[in-house]
Amino acid sequence: MALLELRNLHVAVAGRRVVKGINLEIERGELHILMGPNGSGKSTLLKAIMGIPGYTVVEGEIMFEGRDMRDLKPHERARMGIAMAYQSTRPIGVTLSRLIRELCRLYGTSPADVSGLGLEELLNRELHKGFSGGESKRVELALTILQRPKLALLDEPDSGVDLESIRVVGKAINRLVERGAAVLLVTHTGIVAEYLRRVDEAHVMIDGRIVASGELPHLLREVRAKGYSGLAGGGANERS
Amino acid sequence: MSVVDELARAGGTALYLQRNYDVLRRVVADSLRRRGLLLEPLREAVSRHSWVRKLLWRALPREEGVGLHGAFLYVPPGLRIQAPLTFCFVVSEAEQLVHNIVVVDEGSEVLMTSACASTERGEAHKGYTEVYLRRGARLNYVMIHSWMRETRVTAKTGVEVGEGGSFTQFYTCLKSPSTLTSDSRALLERRATALLSTLYVASPGSSTTISSTLILAGEGSRGEVLARAVAVRGAALRLPTRIEARAPGSRGHIECRGLQLSPDSRIETAPILCSLHGGSQLTHEAAIGKISEEELYYLMSRGFTEEEATSLLVRGFLETGIKGLPKVMRPQVEAVLSILARKAVG
Ligand SMILES: Nc1ncnc2c1ncn2[C@@H]1O[C@H](COP(=O)(O)OP(=O)(O)OP(=O)(O)O)[C@@H](O)[C@H]1O
Ligand SMILES: [Mg+2]
Repeated sequence: MALLELRNLHVAVAGRRVVKGINLEIERGELHILMGPNGSGKSTLLKAIMGIPGYTVVEGEIMFEGRDMRDLKPHERARMGIAMAYQSTRPIGVTLSRLIRELCRLYGTSPADVSGLGLEELLNRELHKGFSGGESKRVELALTILQRPKLALLDEPDSGVDLESIRVVGKAINRLVERGAAVLLVTHTGIVAEYLRRVDEAHVMIDGRIVASGELPHLLREVRAKGYSGLAGGGANERS
Repeated sequence: MSVVDELARAGGTALYLQRNYDVLRRVVADSLRRRGLLLEPLREAVSRHSWVRKLLWRALPREEGVGLHGAFLYVPPGLRIQAPLTFCFVVSEAEQLVHNIVVVDEGSEVLMTSACASTERGEAHKGYTEVYLRRGARLNYVMIHSWMRETRVTAKTGVEVGEGGSFTQFYTCLKSPSTLTSDSRALLERRATALLSTLYVASPGSSTTISSTLILAGEGSRGEVLARAVAVRGAALRLPTRIEARAPGSRGHIECRGLQLSPDSRIETAPILCSLHGGSQLTHEAAIGKISEEELYYLMSRGFTEEEATSLLVRGFLETGIKGLPKVMRPQVEAVLSILARKAVG
């Protein structure tokens, strides 16, 4: 049984269907990369898996460890082992240090687990308030790690991050995988993948559908050569 | 009680404990007594030291019917006391009227805490505290009170901050009563500073008024009023605040925030700035809101139940009001905030 299985998943946001029939299986410990043009529905897909209100499953199923997630609240999904690093964040009225303490308590983890992520200067500040883009990305990743997830949904942890910090991000993702997490990683450039020990599969999402799946280098070449519009026909799916 | 003695010996502190009208404990560490620190029932102090009488009702409007039942604290010049001097007042029957006088002499620096509480049979507590800080004196005053619902509470504090002196007050209630009126006012002389900070969670169905007033009387004086107030089911909270500038170069700021956890709660902020002199600068910020759904869902997606997430946000909200709190008091106040945040959602 796959860890995560999406069956013909359709998700609507603000009354509009954004995700349009996704089928995807992720096994335990696998790392999948999801690419696609802006507005294609990648974040919407991740939020629907997390169960964020407003991201409504209108058709199909999200199965996690064989269980239908339909009626489960976000905190129930989190406690089952799904964690998300958000692409964009707004200030949350809690200090970072308090949130770290509470997460460690909840998941039996330790602040030492995220020691390499350079959070020291941010600890006493309100979460994401005035954080730089790169700081927010590191913090999101750290919080995800502290949840010791079985499935980590990482929404562009490398966007807006300087080249050197991308290496730090890559290392943190490797650490997640070493600890047994499966990862669904949304990224635009593939640069972070150069630091990853292993990528199992990559997917291209266009207009709410996965139009191509396969090995990352191959898909990257395709995207570079044909552009997303050239892939929209669905010809690059190696396994289909 | 031996704990208290040990505390006094180790930390160089003092304690005054009064139940109803009986003084149950009065401890002053030897080292402090030798240096001239006085801690006495107010009645004794007034009869013993003629100058004390002159201070009665100078920093507060006179209240008829309030006797000399309370404490008198005198801190001689040049003392630095970083462990808290503690006042406890407990009302366990009928009414308790208390009048306290605190005098901190030139250049001294003191941390003072008050712990006031009631039992179910305590009908009312009325406390009047006058604080006189002489030139360059600094006082941190942390009030952590805990009241039964039944008790009607009135707390008035009047402060005179002498030239270059500094006064900070943190006011919080572990348990808030159904009716509470608190009124703190400080008058600042030249280059004096003051911070009046309130962290308050109003209990269900309660009616509360917490007023704070600063008079910037001296040139270059600076003052700030901070309030963080949370209202739950059926609670009504009023937070009148006022800063009055009477001297050039004075600066004042009011920052007042209310958080409503229930649609049937009421919060009213009324910040007033009044400048009687062109050379001063006064600002205020007031905001009332509810917990944002976005913040709530964010925390829920990290594994917290709705109650846990709300409680975390309430705590975070209150915590923004503790800047300037003396370090030694931090653990105690943080513990109080945790309890308040838990109770706010319970
Ligand atoms: N909360 C929302 N309210 C209204 N529309 C939304 C909301 N969230 C997403 N959308 C819309 O859904 C579509 C897909 O957005 P989504 O954020 O999933 O794209 P994305 O693939 O993550 O894009 P990007 O690469 O820019 O992050 C967009 O048209 C977006 O405007
Ligand atoms: Mg996105």
